[in-house]
Amino acid sequence: MKRYFTNRLLLFVPTLMGSLTLVFFLIHFIPGDPVEVMLGETASSVDKEALRQELGLNQPLGIQYIRFFSALLQGDLGRSLYEQGTVAELILSRFPATMELTLAAMGIALFVAFPLGILAAVKKNSLMDRIALLFSLLGLAMPNFWLGPLLMIIFSIELGWLPVSGREGLAHLILPSFTLGMLMASILIRMVRSSLLETIHEDYIQTARAKGLSEWRVWLKHALGNSLLSVITIVGLQFGALLAGSIITETIFAWPGIGRLTIQAIQTRDYPLVQGCVLVISTSYLVVNFLTDILYHLADPRVSYGP
Amino acid sequence: MKFKPFFLLVFAWVWVSLAGCLPSPRPDRPAGYLVIALESNPTHLDPRYATDANSVRIGGLIFNALTHTDQHARLQPELAERWEAVDERTYLFHLKKGVTFHDGKPLTAADVKFTYESVLEPRNRSPKRATLRLLKAVDAIGPYQVRFRLSAPYAPFLENSTLGIVPTGTPSRGASGENSLIGSGPFSLEQFSPGEKVVLKANPSYWGGQPGLSGLVFKMIPDAIVRSLEFKKGTVDFIQNDIEPDNLIWFKKNTNASILTQQGTIFQYLGMNLDHPILKILEVRQAIAYAIDREAIIRHLLKGLATPATGLLSPSHWAYERSVPYLPYDPEEAKRLLDHAGFPDPDGDGPLPRFKLSYKTTTLDLRRRIAEAFKEQLSRVGIELEVRTYEWGTFYGDIQKGNFHLYSLSWVGITDPDIYFNLFHSSSIVPYGNNRGRYRNPEIDRLLERGRNSLSPEERKQIYSRVQKILAVELPTIPLWWAKNVVLMKRNIEGFVPFPDGDLISLKNVSIASPLPPS
Repeated sequence: MKRYFTNRLLLFVPTLMGSLTLVFFLIHFIPGDPVEVMLGETASSVDKEALRQELGLNQPLGIQYIRFFSALLQGDLGRSLYEQGTVAELILSRFPATMELTLAAMGIALFVAFPLGILAAVKKNSLMDRIALLFSLLGLAMPNFWLGPLLMIIFSIELGWLPVSGREGLAHLILPSFTLGMLMASILIRMVRSSLLETIHEDYIQTARAKGLSEWRVWLKHALGNSLLSVITIVGLQFGALLAGSIITETIFAWPGIGRLTIQAIQTRDYPLVQGCVLVISTSYLVVNFLTDILYHLADPRVSYGP
Repeated sequence: MKFKPFFLLVFAWVWVSLAGCLPSPRPDRPAGYLVIALESNPTHLDPRYATDANSVRIGGLIFNALTHTDQHARLQPELAERWEAVDERTYLFHLKKGVTFHDGKPLTAADVKFTYESVLEPRNRSPKRATLRLLKAVDAIGPYQVRFRLSAPYAPFLENSTLGIVPTGTPSRGASGENSLIGSGPFSLEQFSPGEKVVLKANPSYWGGQPGLSGLVFKMIPDAIVRSLEFKKGTVDFIQNDIEPDNLIWFKKNTNASILTQQGTIFQYLGMNLDHPILKILEVRQAIAYAIDREAIIRHLLKGLATPATGLLSPSHWAYERSVPYLPYDPEEAKRLLDHAGFPDPDGDGPLPRFKLSYKTTTLDLRRRIAEAFKEQLSRVGIELEVRTYEWGTFYGDIQKGNFHLYSLSWVGITDPDIYFNLFHSSSIVPYGNNRGRYRNPEIDRLLERGRNSLSPEERKQIYSRVQKILAVELPTIPLWWAKNVVLMKRNIEGFVPFPDGDLISLKNVSIASPLPPS
């Protein structure tokens, strides 16, 4: 298993290089010029050319690519072309906000999905089951850009319980994380319910019942524990979706995270900042996938990772 | 199985407890601060680097310049008591005495010299360097006199005297963050969190008198609906222009909100590629101008928040020329001109067009709706318009390369009429300037060269009057409308005077009268 994890860790490098290479060429191929943004419309063509030369943007793309990777290997992500500060500083100042939002959204999704999913499975075809499935359907059907303002109108404007937007304190986190976590919760409710219903007919569950265990113990310990594998898979995959979805949620809720920074960087053709943001998002995604593999093993020790 | 309601109770209890444990939200502002919502992030508050509108407007509250422009785009004294043109290449500015920076140090000619020289220094990569390219030297003559020497006569140079002054030794871009910027304006910088907010604190020893507010909070809220909701909740007090026309209707009946509208200077135009075999024909351009119902678009899509434009300079500008031809909506005249230009409609009212053109625009909702209106209006005279929407960077990249048939953009912050040189002189054809439509007219070239070399305001007014008349006939671009400035603010805010260019400087005179009742 140790070898398996070492191999997985080593795979990080080519995966990251692949995603960075792809983004490097894509962002350079689309039209738009960072020098126009930096110097403004009044700048002369001589000044623009001089700056292009200074930044190395007039060099062949292959050379720029090699320069970017050699700087990266030395831990230098470069300076933002448009925002103030280095790429590393900018990302460090924004990444905690995104992680806070993503983790809170994940927490809410798990907190909502597990009880509702379990109740729906235990009370299959009951009113509770229908309510849980309806909730899940609504969550899947409502896009973030619609759900966010709806929650604001109800909880901030009409009821006055929560702030509308921004990132000032814990109360500011509730609406954006619920908006972001709703989709994941909806998927998870259905996953938990169906996994439990599949597992509950296994022979070992009948054995557990025959041993005289209480019904809740059978469901929560024996059935739920063994149906966790598929749920963990979905949670791992959905984490990436949460990071991507946070771009919209961050814009709606004026949340100063990396999603908004990425959008701004793409709009201003801030090449180093786009690369930096992609590096961080890809790394987060890989780390979560890695953790998912470890969780597989913890949830079900039978899962093998080769010799 | 036996269902235990206990489980549900525990679940409900956890949720209720969590909600109860939440800390009550912190007050959203310090006492006496005004909260202003902005759509986009100011990128650089340092006046040597500030180019976007929000950076320039906030910077104007932190820094003073030698002069500032008034509501007619005329220069008025600020740090300079007065100035004079010693000859056509030399300007002398006399500074006010007793002006201090926020840290208490006096502002002198050495600081002015430092600011301009740091813009000129190529290593500092200031976007404003290009506008100072004719500045040969800045001399501090004693503590309160500054001399600017130019390498050639250049009347628009004086416009550069609106550059904010920073203290000697202020690091250039990148050397440090902008949280420690010091100016001499009515407000000092308290906090700059990019992407989040800018907080300014009143400068009690401001030479022009202490501001009426304790401070200002500029909150970045990218979404238009959310900005309106924040205003409705009372957590935002003031929004200027960053409000969608559709959302403004919500507040018309709100007793706690007041809405100010005023003629603005933002000029929206339809750009055309004059190298295109069809668009280079004047009658076609005139036909397009006749075919577009600007008033209908303003009424229905812009909710009346604009006025039809006759040219680049708005009526409030000192060089504005009133008597230029204006082509009103007249589809029949458009059809006649197209017939005459050799583009008859192949099947009358049938589906076949006279010709096809493409129109590039951005993905913004309002821009797309305007594009659809153009498409419909032009189809009525037999022109088929293919609307292509692009993400901003791609769109702007194409426009700057001159890669388009038709597009629409706006010009913001027009001060000196020398902007015509950048937009219509043949030497400014892209990529050398912003003559994106590749317009060439030797008479315009001569006039624009004279306009930038003449120091006489009367002569310049005459020159630009002639320029405006020629452009209104030749239509290298079709003027669409001047956007109105819209200010949505709480009714208890007193003393705000809107500027046509959206300048926020009058916030220094604003005060809050009394708390409002809940709306």
